[in-house]
Amino acid sequence: MAELQGLGAELSEAERAGVEIVAISPDPNERSQKLAEGLGLAYRFLADTDLAVARRYGLVHERGGPEGQDVPRPATIVIDRDGIVRWFTVARNYQVRPDPDDVLRAVRAL
Amino acid sequence: MASGPLALLSVLVAIGALAGYALLLRVPAVRNHPEAYVVALALATALAALAVARARRRRWPAWLALAVTILLLAGGAWYNFVLARVPDTPPAFRVGEPAPDFALPDAAGRPVALADYRGRKPVVLVFYRGYW
Repeated sequence: MAELQGLGAELSEAERAGVEIVAISPDPNERSQKLAEGLGLAYRFLADTDLAVARRYGLVHERGGPEGQDVPRPATIVIDRDGIVRWFTVARNYQVRPDPDDVLRAVRAL
Repeated sequence: MASGPLALLSVLVAIGALAGYALLLRVPAVRNHPEAYVVALALATALAALAVARARRRRWPAWLALAVTILLLAGGAWYNFVLARVPDTPPAFRVGEPAPDFALPDAAGRPVALADYRGRKPVVLVFYRGYW
């Protein structure tokens, strides 16, 4: 959740600018949603439990999880109103999160 | 600085590096440069080595500090350069092309499709590992 908090604080500005933030992970999303609401983050949490969507996006880290399970590669993608990808970043080290300023800049450039 | 205080300082630097990283995780400048804690751990190890070199009478504090700092450096380096690494294969989407559509359930179980936002709102899609 710490990973999303940094993004959330700055992106709530973008939200007010009319952008929808959608967070996707294999986790059951009620837990994520409750935590997010508790922290005041206006995200839409979607459950990608079998990683089908991560796979479709080419974002699977085979056996990358702590129990050897497949996990998504952390990524942030900015998509415009026409459904076109305009900017993205994919993590090469899962400790690193995209700089919220970079994401905001990409959103404002739409 | 004498060996004893130097040994203590080295361990404090090592612990401080890890604690600082953990506490300042929300600050992008810190979070996005995890190699900084590895550098700080290397510095701590160097200080401990210096403590060993300067030890005259009681040597065990310096050797203990060296053992601790080497352990933390090895662990930190392994975590940062091996365990936390994500494979760098190109994703299945590109800038300028349509994002692959999908439909997934939200927290209330309602299906949400990317296509729902077409013509309405831009979307920032965040894929994350989840937590456990």
